[in-house]
Amino acid sequence: MSARNHAQWTAAPKLKAGEWVDSRIYSDQAIFEEELQKIWKRSWIPVCHESELKNAYDFRTMTIAREPVIVVRGNDMKVRAFLNVCPHRGNMIERRPSGSFKRGTPSGTPKHMTCMFHAWQFDMKGRCAYISRCEEGYQKRLRKEDVGLRKLNCEVYFGGFVWVCLDDDIDMTVEQWAAGALDVLSPSLNAEPLEIFHYHKAIIPCNYKLWHDTNCEFYHDYLHYHNRITGFNDAYFARKNSGFKNGHINVGSFEVQYDQYEGFESREALSFPHLPPNHWYMIDMFPGVNFNLRGSALRCDLMTPLAADKVMIEFRGLGLASDTPQQRRTRIDHHNSIWGPFGRNLHEDLLAVTAQGACMHQAAENRRILHGRHENQTIHDENGMRHYYEEWGRWLNRLPSDPDRAFADGAGGRAAVARDAERELALEEA
Amino acid sequence: MSVNYAETKEAVKSLIYQACLYQDDLNWDAWLKLCDADFQYRICAYSPEIQADMIYLSGGLEDMRSLTGMLSKHNSDHSPLRRHCVAYQVTVAEDGRSAESVSSVTVFQTQLDGINSHVDAGESRLFLVGRYHDKFSINGGDIKFTERTARLDTRRLDKGSHWPI
Repeated sequence: MSARNHAQWTAAPKLKAGEWVDSRIYSDQAIFEEELQKIWKRSWIPVCHESELKNAYDFRTMTIAREPVIVVRGNDMKVRAFLNVCPHRGNMIERRPSGSFKRGTPSGTPKHMTCMFHAWQFDMKGRCAYISRCEEGYQKRLRKEDVGLRKLNCEVYFGGFVWVCLDDDIDMTVEQWAAGALDVLSPSLNAEPLEIFHYHKAIIPCNYKLWHDTNCEFYHDYLHYHNRITGFNDAYFARKNSGFKNGHINVGSFEVQYDQYEGFESREALSFPHLPPNHWYMIDMFPGVNFNLRGSALRCDLMTPLAADKVMIEFRGLGLASDTPQQRRTRIDHHNSIWGPFGRNLHEDLLAVTAQGACMHQAAENRRILHGRHENQTIHDENGMRHYYEEWGRWLNRLPSDPDRAFADGAGGRAAVARDAERELALEEA
Repeated sequence: MSVNYAETKEAVKSLIYQACLYQDDLNWDAWLKLCDADFQYRICAYSPEIQADMIYLSGGLEDMRSLTGMLSKHNSDHSPLRRHCVAYQVTVAEDGRSAESVSSVTVFQTQLDGINSHVDAGESRLFLVGRYHDKFSINGGDIKFTERTARLDTRRLDKGSHWPI
């Protein structure tokens, strides 16, 4: 067949159900709103690293599914999370991205979170400590004991990442949520304290899942000269993609030949604990988190979906807290050479998803996006994305290839097979 | 030897601006010829988010030569950058053999690829804001960069950042 007409172009591909998705899942604002409610507000999300809150009274702010969140370290050194919203008039309590409550603010006293609007104050456990002119205004009708902050589930887990879940009813710990997906890197990340050394962000006009897809599939090696020159060999193509419960995946390791790229060097001397020299593992956590360990440097991508066609990606780089200044400097160079904002690979990934976003904006005609490569679940197999979308379909009860249909009616099901047959017939007739 | 500080300051400023023109034109070889053999390049930023000084890119002369030489093998955004630079402060050492400067720099990006080039091409956007902290060696009339630190305020860096700033 040569170039296709509209009917052919929009027809279902000659692949099995589950091997392609409808681009509406990347562009439909109603689906996006549903994702925030049903997925992002119910999942464990790593929001920062504990080294971003080193001291008692340090804080960090962020948003999950548009809800303002604040993470604080108490005087007892425990990390807790709250909605960053004053229970009085709904004001955002802390506006800065990070800082310390050890010093007072223009409206408040030291060691408290203070809402600048009317000076209500809260301690590091979220208890209301002060209501300005309380008795004059509320008499005995409302007391500070009645207006604590909204506490959130919070765990420090997996090398010191701070995980938050907005859903009080979540019935699993982070470890249970990970379902084994983190195990491959746990010995390396838990051996000794880690420390953040890098942060930057990008806001890209594409759906968050397109970035996650890029982290889940390596067929896009053709985008990266670096990957091809340092990777393409038998061991590389034998790397396994493995799926875990709850939609997470691992990308197996191999030994990267860094010295094949001009100006680059082996990372053996600074390998993370328990990691074979120059090895490279990736973990993609549902619904939009990536941990990526290349020998000497750990990268974490955290996605904050902003709209159906807009995502903020925060990039963090981490090393060992025990690094000497020289070790840290080398580790940072290793990190930046590929993953820094002026590095060789990251920018190329941003280019690619931007171009996808340009074709899958909210008003774009829906298209068929292929996830159908099978290569024995190795590096260029697209089983990682298929595994993700199976989970996604379950959470939303939508069929990724036809999101107006229920997932129960989906991949492998009788109805889906019948639909595939109908479409194939229609395509042949066209 | 007497040092004409005013003339030297002007020469240093001219070198800073010449470097901007070469970088704007992606003329990396010419840019690097303005640099000493011991040249050190850095892009840095302070992150209020993690409360840490960060290095985004660093290397010596040969590292920069490798990096710029390899650019053609990579997929880059095609939108050109233009540096608007003002040398606020140039200090020449008493012996006239070195100098330091602080310049304000803003970089604009005129879209070529854009998100959709049909719509965006031709539009100019602010790409980043920062300062250059430069050091120079002076040998008679020959002035070379020995150090450049591009210290950025900008920490949101979308596509378009494959090149030294």
